[in-house]
Amino acid sequence: MSEHDVLFDAMGSHARLLIGDPEPGMAPPAAAAERARQFIADFDAKLSRFKPGSELCALNTDPRRRVPASELLRQAVRAGLQAAERSGGLVDPTLAEEIESAGYVGSRAGVPGAPLGAALAEAPPRRPASPNPKARWRQFEVDDEAGSIARPPGVRFDTGGAGKGLAADLVAERLRGYSRFIVDCGGDIRIGGPGALVRPYEVFVEHPLTGDRSHVLRLSSGGVATSGLNVRIWRGPDGRYAHHLLDPATGEPAWTGLIGVTALGDTAVEAETLSKAALLSGADGGREILAEHGGLLVHDSGEVERVGPLSVRPRIRLPQTAPGGAA
Amino acid sequence: MTKRPRRPSFAPVFWSSISLFAVLFALLAYQLSSGNDPSLGAAAGGTASRPVLVRRIVKRRIVTTVVPNPGASSVSSGPVTTSSAPVVSSSGSAPITTSAS
Repeated sequence: MSEHDVLFDAMGSHARLLIGDPEPGMAPPAAAAERARQFIADFDAKLSRFKPGSELCALNTDPRRRVPASELLRQAVRAGLQAAERSGGLVDPTLAEEIESAGYVGSRAGVPGAPLGAALAEAPPRRPASPNPKARWRQFEVDDEAGSIARPPGVRFDTGGAGKGLAADLVAERLRGYSRFIVDCGGDIRIGGPGALVRPYEVFVEHPLTGDRSHVLRLSSGGVATSGLNVRIWRGPDGRYAHHLLDPATGEPAWTGLIGVTALGDTAVEAETLSKAALLSGADGGREILAEHGGLLVHDSGEVERVGPLSVRPRIRLPQTAPGGAA
Repeated sequence: MTKRPRRPSFAPVFWSSISLFAVLFALLAYQLSSGNDPSLGAAAGGTASRPVLVRRIVKRRIVTTVVPNPGASSVSSGPVTTSSAPVVSSSGSAPITTSAS
């Protein structure tokens, strides 16, 4: 069984598609891959906050309260709002201003990150992040019938929290009809196709400190995503280290005791939401968030902890009797 | 002329099966009643009981295996190219990697 394997730059990162055999009537995998690549390029062009001509930037600068929006923008905003709802406001899509204040103004694609070890040594005391009590994201309304988005003018939206996962999920919908496939948008991954149930994909998890593969996941469906501090980390003009995962309550980079989280989910968006929410919650909250679908927590020390279904090992245990024969 | 072994009669086979079943059933019933459900893992050494989260499984979705791989060689953090042109390669040429991006 052969698979079409294509790799390209996209969304400030990389994208990769593996597409198996088509069902009768479906386009050849190469043609499907090219269409998917064009879709991802279009997705990025419309939804990047770094491209002044994007529809997202137009929404963010529009002085009207209700703004006409394409289906793709409405999907992206809805995904961001669902991520916020699911995470209780921890994955907040309205922190565009704060992240720019932290120093993340332009795309950091290709820019090497600052050393994470040094940043951890100078980071403030660890504590879990909290939602912003203002919950500005609740002011957004998506109206599919009218084809518009309403929000108070001046409140900006950032699709960064769920963008790559959403792109992977939307491409996956277009690949139904292929024996199996995997869509990797910058490490946010969606897997599907009946063939994957028989022959699961192996997905390597990169360790944020060493870059080594820390685990191998064998996945037959659903999504997997990783959030971490090892990329998009920089030293600001004030000399302090900063990164792109902000504590919504303070608008400052969150240092929670975790440096990376890999989460599984039914979709890539769900996995991405869970991984970010877990990282922002710290170890205790992260365990709770990953309990249902499973995942990996990487602590500041580099220790990797398996959570939820990934921590379960089959076992058979017979009744134990106390020494001396008493039960 | 060789004699074929006699086929065992029905009653001993039946009753020994029933007895074996009863013994195993009683063993498991005893274990469950003493609070040591084997599917729940080891008891916490007599400490206070942990809160149990009851979850309804809507869909058993995924077959997942985690293989610790500490000795593996370093993996490039996902295939990175300097050009935006797509690169088509033969299947399975590089591992799929999830990493922060």
